Amino acid sequence: MTFEIKSGDVDVDAIMRMIRKRIEEKKQGLYTDEEIREIAEHRLDAVLDAHEFNSDFIADFRAQQGRWNYHFGPETIYRSSRGGVGGILETVRRILRPVQKLFWNPNPMIAALSRQSDLNTYYVHLLHNLAVEITKLNLEVQDLKNRNLQLQGRLEFQARREKTLEEMVVYRDDAAAKPGGAGGGAGGNEPA
Amino acid sequence: MVQRYGLDIAGGAEYHCRLVAEHMARHAQVEVLTTCAADYLTWANHYPEGREVLNGIPVHRFKVKRPRDPEAFADWTDRVFRASHDPADELRWLEEQGPFSPRLVRHVERHRDDHDLFVFFSYRYYPAYHGLAAVRDKALLVPTCEEDGVYRLSIFPPLFRMPRAIVYNSVEEKALIETVSNNQDVPGDVVGVGSALPDALDAEGFRRRSGLTGPYVLYVGRIDENKGCPQLFDFFRRYRAETGSRLTLALIGKAVIEIPADAGIVHLGFLSDEEKWNALAASELLVMPSRLESLSMVTLEAWWAERPVLVNGKCEVLRGQTRRANAGLYYTSYEEFREALALLESDGVLRVHLGRNGRLYFDSHYTWDIVEKKYLALIAQASSGARVGELARSQADPASVS
Repeated sequence: MTFEIKSGDVDVDAIMRMIRKRIEEKKQGLYTDEEIREIAEHRLDAVLDAHEFNSDFIADFRAQQGRWNYHFGPETIYRSSRGGVGGILETVRRILRPVQKLFWNPNPMIAALSRQSDLNTYYVHLLHNLAVEITKLNLEVQDLKNRNLQLQGRLEFQARREKTLEEMVVYRDDAAAKPGGAGGGAGGNEPA
Repeated sequence: MVQRYGLDIAGGAEYHCRLVAEHMARHAQVEVLTTCAADYLTWANHYPEGREVLNGIPVHRFKVKRPRDPEAFADWTDRVFRASHDPADELRWLEEQGPFSPRLVRHVERHRDDHDLFVFFSYRYYPAYHGLAAVRDKALLVPTCEEDGVYRLSIFPPLFRMPRAIVYNSVEEKALIETVSNNQDVPGDVVGVGSALPDALDAEGFRRRSGLTGPYVLYVGRIDENKGCPQLFDFFRRYRAETGSRLTLALIGKAVIEIPADAGIVHLGFLSDEEKWNALAASELLVMPSRLESLSMVTLEAWWAERPVLVNGKCEVLRGQTRRANAGLYYTSYEEFREALALLESDGVLRVHLGRNGRLYFDSHYTWDIVEKKYLALIAQASSGARVGELARSQADPASVS
């Protein structure tokens, strides 16, 4: 956006309105400068904290897998949780295991469930890493948007400067053409 | 009457008073009543008590009874601005603020018949408050009121209704005082003050002497937190970093706070009036970051030098004057500062037009001829007697004004 200033046509209120409009346009969909700066100054961990992630996330998960995952091994289906009676039950199940295998083969099920338990752990790890990467990318995108704005500002600044320099040449030519024309500076003015 | 007076006191109501006294001496016998203080923070006695003549003006100084006690003043300030209190507390605060010079006030009371009129500068100080109350029927007040909340204390609205006339610095100041005191029946006019204008400007010479060869933005005044300087430093550094601008911020004045070590900020120290004018002439624009101003003389001077200004839009007086003069831009946030400064930096034609508007505004309102006429008209109105009424029309019959 550039401002068209014609001779004797300066209106401070209009310029200020245009400045505010321009600021609003720049701000649309973006963090303010203060917010960007604030985020950039934070360590990544702090950003993750804000998203309910923390740097000890994986360690916590591994330490307390039982709270969210299950462990499945070859013996899991024969175990019992009934204390002393349970021990007798487990022994009977072991003795009858060959008979049971006459009716069905539990091995593929045991392998699948065991594999699924491992996959659950891997997925959690993967999701965590993805969350970290997405957060990093978000910050980089914000940073790039900000840089883009700055570059746009500089470009507009240079364009205005170019236009002004062109107008200054015309202005000076006009002034020089008029006898006693404007000098453009204060040096030639006498006090009132 | 003014709280301090001296040739070495720059800026503020004191300089304003000195310029008015020296110019009004063409129309009347003028005597200045003041204290021996030079420092506005301590009010410690600095000048000798008694009479002297400065630039042809007789000055009568009175001792300050005790310097300001910063801790007591802070305590009373807390009490009157943050706690429930009564008018007696406010009077005590006024005393603690100083300059506490009962002898000066007594002199005014005892010599009220020796003068046709008393002109009091700065309503918020002890001498003006008690002095004006003592000779209210002969008093003209130049309040120099800022938007700092002091004028809302309960002791001041009655004061604004006492004088025979009030000399306001700006439309905003007049509105502020009228709102708080309902003193519309007291004659008053927006007058302001003229400046000691130079005979010639030497921008090139200043550039050579100062080493400022590139474009620069100028700040003139005390480099102080109260003047908004820390925010200005922050905004300006960010502006340079973000836009790649090669502008320099040149500072003229005494530094009360630390100035950041930055290649883009140059402190030129305290310069003579002549060199200040040259600096203005060589600058791209003047920046005025203060939030509390009743009248910025340097802003008016920048306009005389045909330089645009960039002012703090949160100061109603500065914003109002800039809009009326159509001679600068203002900001209320960093984003506005950046956009406004970028526009002013890049658009030389805009700067020229704004600067010319400023000069027109100055010539229309702040030449000494206009200021003196307004003072004379108010004096005539305040006196409402033939003797001083004639004063306004004839210089051959000078009256005595303090």
